[in-house]
Amino acid sequence: MTWWCSARGTAWDWTWQAYPGVWLFGALLIIGYLGAHRRWHPDPLIGDEPRRKARRVVAYVLGVGLLWMAADWPVGPLGAGYLVSVHTVQYLTFAMIAPPLLIYGTSPWVLRGVLRSRAVWSLLRALTRPLPAFLVFNTVMLATHLPAMVDGLSGSQGGSFLIHMAWLGSGIVFWWVVLGPLPELGPLPYPGRILFLVLNVFIPTVPASFLTFADYPIYGLYELAPSVGAITARTDQQLAGLMMKLVGGFIIFGTASVLFFRWFQREDDPSASLAIPADPVRQ
Amino acid sequence: MQAWKSPGLRACCSVVGCLLMWACGPGQAEESAFRGIVLPQPWPKVPFTLTATDGSSFDFRRETDGHVTLLFFGYTHCPDICPVHMANIAAVLHELPPSVSGQVKVVFVSTDPDRDTPERLHDWLAQFDRDFIGLRGPLATVNEIQREIGLAPAIIENKEGEYLVAHAAQVVAYTKDNRAHLVYPFGTRQVDWAHDIPKLVRSWTSP
Repeated sequence: MTWWCSARGTAWDWTWQAYPGVWLFGALLIIGYLGAHRRWHPDPLIGDEPRRKARRVVAYVLGVGLLWMAADWPVGPLGAGYLVSVHTVQYLTFAMIAPPLLIYGTSPWVLRGVLRSRAVWSLLRALTRPLPAFLVFNTVMLATHLPAMVDGLSGSQGGSFLIHMAWLGSGIVFWWVVLGPLPELGPLPYPGRILFLVLNVFIPTVPASFLTFADYPIYGLYELAPSVGAITARTDQQLAGLMMKLVGGFIIFGTASVLFFRWFQREDDPSASLAIPADPVRQ
Repeated sequence: MQAWKSPGLRACCSVVGCLLMWACGPGQAEESAFRGIVLPQPWPKVPFTLTATDGSSFDFRRETDGHVTLLFFGYTHCPDICPVHMANIAAVLHELPPSVSGQVKVVFVSTDPDRDTPERLHDWLAQFDRDFIGLRGPLATVNEIQREIGLAPAIIENKEGEYLVAHAAQVVAYTKDNRAHLVYPFGTRQVDWAHDIPKLVRSWTSP
């Protein structure tokens, strides 16, 4: 039984393959979400307005759906063992796209409920400060793009799962700083978040440049994998580098622009606060 | 010195260290040695004549004399080893200066002559490099050549609709002295070819 996608070493074919581990992972995220909302259901009088509540549900389901698509057939096995460009799509999904959707999609009351555990509170408080978050996100990003790591881990289901979870975990830490979902965790002011985002543009340029400008393929795994279509190993790698730089940059600068306009709006109208109401129990 | 005790600074230095290790990784190590497998005793270039994809006779010994020759036995329906070997060699030859790549000939001998028609063999090789030479002949002849060289002969199995061709996976590298000093197994990467081909062109230049 193949639980999670990994490099197979055989010629690629379009025969569907089941990855029950991926389904279980998606199901746990949904069941956990429903269970947490049931457990920490807010008083309807202080809860989100219905439209915002619907937006949160849509964002969360979209985040889970994207994670599922990035790990399941065909994207999962293609990224794990055949095309580094698809591997980069997986990275962008796990670290850059799904985490903000999951964080936004989880209502603050549920986040506070999770944070009632002292251990979780301490861990999240430590990791979501700007410097640790910067180090965690960029260390994971660099480490999981080292040839030895990619070639060594992607061949096993456990290794592949580890890479995906490291991306997701580091992405949540990173986007927590950017979104600042809970006022009591002392989110950065808007200029600080914009600066944090912009500082995170530079380090991903390093692997992106290696991928784009290397004369020869960096990863043996993808270079020696049976080809998929007519794409060469080098073109595939260049595509990966460009996606990492351009799509990653677009997400970061796009978010920074949104934050900038919100900051501008707030300066213009001090009453327009984005702060989420604090937990009435804690007040 | 106090600053060095900062966990943040140490973590930053670790990240930079990893980056440097990546940048200066195994690709730059062992500059002097060949990356292929050096044969304990060089293999002489076996004389044989097969049919090229244009229908002409190809005298391997005569046509490749004075060139570095990369000889491989495979088949065009191969799902993994053959296309990867050909793609990697082609990619590197396209990167090397013409003064080097012009001294290298790549010869691909089909181990599946029934299915590898001249047209198919020509078109398949042309997708990698139009200068790659494709040769065909009866499988018994091809296997005899492989035995003389020192390679395992190809075995075709056609069981329950599954057509399999087991064949040797290494590329035999003949240098200008008309002897093979090295073979390159499957797993040889482009960076290895880029390292070795210029050295093969410069080494063992006279018989």
